[in-house]
Amino acid sequence: MDLAHFIHQALFGGVAAAGFGILFNCPRRMIILCFAAGALALATRTIGTDAVDLSLPEASFIAALVVAIVDRAWWQHGHAFQGSVLAVVGCIPLVPGSLAARGVEELFAITRESASKELTSASTILEILALAAITLASIGTALAIPMLISPPKRKKS
Amino acid sequence: MRSPDAPSLEGIAQLCLQAGHTLLESGANGRTVSQSIESLAYGLGCTSVETYCQHSAIIVMLQRGAESFTHMGKVGEHGVNLRGGEVVLKVVDQIARGTIHYADAQAQIKAATDAIHKYPLWLVCLATGLACGAFGRLLGLDWASFVPVCLGAGLGQWLRVTMLRRAINFYLVVTNVSFTAAMIAGGGVGLIGGSSLELATISATLLLIPGPAMLNCQVDALDGKPNLAVARAFRVAQIILFLTLGLIAAQRLLGA
Repeated sequence: MDLAHFIHQALFGGVAAAGFGILFNCPRRMIILCFAAGALALATRTIGTDAVDLSLPEASFIAALVVAIVDRAWWQHGHAFQGSVLAVVGCIPLVPGSLAARGVEELFAITRESASKELTSASTILEILALAAITLASIGTALAIPMLISPPKRKKS
Repeated sequence: MRSPDAPSLEGIAQLCLQAGHTLLESGANGRTVSQSIESLAYGLGCTSVETYCQHSAIIVMLQRGAESFTHMGKVGEHGVNLRGGEVVLKVVDQIARGTIHYADAQAQIKAATDAIHKYPLWLVCLATGLACGAFGRLLGLDWASFVPVCLGAGLGQWLRVTMLRRAINFYLVVTNVSFTAAMIAGGGVGLIGGSSLELATISATLLLIPGPAMLNCQVDALDGKPNLAVARAFRVAQIILFLTLGLIAAQRLLGA
């Protein structure tokens, strides 16, 4: 695995998460944690795709699960008030938004294709949209797992 | 029979709905909303609580001894405001622990929703620009295109806030912001001579991708709230569709 590429991905994952943290009006004290969560997510995904040769959905699932477990542990120890916020912001750089937009773009482009090329375009669209949907579902599932295994205790009278 | 100091069930239901819709509009998932409402109601002396959390409405059914009360409240435009959600969750926690009373909770939630602290607009635009530039780099954007993407996304965020303040239709805002951000980023890349024109236009529009809604959609589905999950998924699909319309228009004009 290329170390420079690994550091680059982690750094820009952190910058993206911190930037979106400010956009989402995250409390000031949490911005640095957003950076760390984004960097951790991208570092894990990069290891998954580059070193272990996992597919994008598999690597994204593991990255989101790692961030969600760290967030849950942090929350249970009383350091973070609003559990899962950090995990959600940290996983934002993993969201395949560009893939989804590209898939819809291709969908519009198919109307301009000649009949002979339509089948190839349709398979490309299906591939892009399926990859985006499966990756997204993987991240969402991984984020929910710690909360499903260890839900917060409810207070009833 | 309730004590004379105890709040009415109607008052508790209104407080629960106020907390619930503030959380949902702030980007919380269905589980957080339902659990917060239940904690509030039990903390204020209810013996049974049922919550139905939908995309545009919340219904609460409260019971205290022989009394019962059902109330429904509308939910406004969903966004993401983590500080707003945090303030409400703090109040819920204090009620559940019994450290504050009904009147204080009501005042705190109202004050919080009326005056939630926000970052200055220039900082939000700068952060958004950097975030989209960073996203672009993760996707393989070349360094020459980084600054135009940051500029396009930053100005796109300024336009989004300005248009939403004027109560323009949300989906029209999405298309306009997408078009403007892509034009600025793509135009900048053309001027500088960057090699990733198409990628730059896509990266500059990523501020519009509703990431938390996409993730909440799956979390809500896993939590057994399919109605909320489907409504979120439909809204996400609509946003991506309107985003793509603006993006394609800009790319056609730029020749990408």
